Amino acid sequence: MKANSETVIEEVRQLVAKIIETNPAKVDLDARFEDLGADSMMMLEILVAVEKKFKIEIPESDLPKMTSLKEIINILNSR
Amino acid sequence: MAHQKIQHKDVRNNRIVITGIGVVSSIGIGKEDFWQALKQGKSGIKPVTLFDTSSMQSKLAGEIADFKAEEILGEKGLRNLDRATKLALCASELALHDSELKITEQNTDHIGVVLGSTMGSVRSISEFDKEGIMNGPRSVNPALFSNTVINSPASQISIRLQIKGLSATISSGFSSALDAVKYAIDCINSNKSSAVLVGGAEELCEQTFKGFYKLKLLSASRKNDKEMICPFDVRRNGMILGEGAAFFLIEKLSSAINRKAPIYAEIIGYGTGFDYKSVNRYRFDSCGPDKSIKSAITSAKINFSDVSFVASSANSDVKGDAMEANAVKKFFGVKKIAVPAIKSMIGETFSASGAMQLAAAVLMMKNQFLAPTINYDYADEQCPIDCVPNEGRPLKINYSLVNAFGLTGQHSSLVLSGGRI
Repeated sequence: MKANSETVIEEVRQLVAKIIETNPAKVDLDARFEDLGADSMMMLEILVAVEKKFKIEIPESDLPKMTSLKEIINILNSR
Repeated sequence: MAHQKIQHKDVRNNRIVITGIGVVSSIGIGKEDFWQALKQGKSGIKPVTLFDTSSMQSKLAGEIADFKAEEILGEKGLRNLDRATKLALCASELALHDSELKITEQNTDHIGVVLGSTMGSVRSISEFDKEGIMNGPRSVNPALFSNTVINSPASQISIRLQIKGLSATISSGFSSALDAVKYAIDCINSNKSSAVLVGGAEELCEQTFKGFYKLKLLSASRKNDKEMICPFDVRRNGMILGEGAAFFLIEKLSSAINRKAPIYAEIIGYGTGFDYKSVNRYRFDSCGPDKSIKSAITSAKINFSDVSFVASSANSDVKGDAMEANAVKKFFGVKKIAVPAIKSMIGETFSASGAMQLAAAVLMMKNQFLAPTINYDYADEQCPIDCVPNEGRPLKINYSLVNAFGLTGQHSSLVLSGGRI
């Protein structure tokens, strides 16, 4: 998947911002979700939402890696 | 609203009073709006907008059309909460604010939450399962799972208000909220809690609506009757559903006096009765309500003649209204007591109904004014009672009886004292 396109990054940013209930502008590529107020349930929600959006399956073992927008893009790129 | 002058004649240690009220209803949000609407006989019944009713003959409900939880709770943290939870959160927040009780690190272990709810999770369970079945188990949102358990709204109240004491959910159908009040009183009197936020909540949803429709309990669901909710009127042909939540802060009288809290009423009696012959249908035989009323008045240690009015449970069911009228007639005589039915305005809110009637009763006592039963035009000889037809009226009120009767066999009543506290 060519996940580093601006469109994909923006889609994930919006999705994450909605779940964390924060302004999308705050979801920088390197901003840690935890620092933006995400809890463990929100992290699970992000995983399920990304799976649903891009119709892929992300193993739960990847969950600890999904700490920022950049990490999610890396995971999408590795599909 | 001016509080009644209260007289502290006898400060026994087990007297329980109501010191906060929060209401979210189809006729008003907050106790003031709710009371003004009740007093004026305003109807909250309207065409349903939450879901499609085109396949059914019943199309009306007491929907809270403009319900915006964020106006009371703020924007954050509401995204994954279902409607029943948001209704309960708003009503409990309003009740706590009204009580002027501050929850602190010092008192939080002794504050409790008790919620009466039965159908509150039906839509959430249905939607969660539908997603899993249609798109596979991986597609379900884990954050929505908590909505599928019935104790979730009570827990969410504790989380939001940072309450560390008792958290319980009572699920006993139509009488859930009054049974929740009894449970809360027992917890206070056994010193497990010093104050409890107690109430009832139900949301209007397609699943519940269709269930009641299929059971032919809704108005217009049997034949081409006019769809209307007219308790005790001979034209009645079934209930119209509603939704909402009402919460109360209750505590010992001594605690309320100590913190100079506003006192609305004292809860002086409770009774309950189960009619095992009642299976998804009301019965004209009022053996369950009889037991409920009699044991409530007995436990209150007052006479039937002391009661000024009955906050009725009637919802426009042909047999259900006659059942309650039968019980009232038996204990209070024919047309000797006022029996206002507020479901004529807000619809049948099921597990929340006892809390709605309790809120209405307390406000009627406080204002010394009876709210009407609206849509009452044609008397029914099976219901020979004074339902305060169509227009409210002032009345000197000392004691009232609140009924929450149902079609699942469970019936409960509460007795309130508003005068000499």
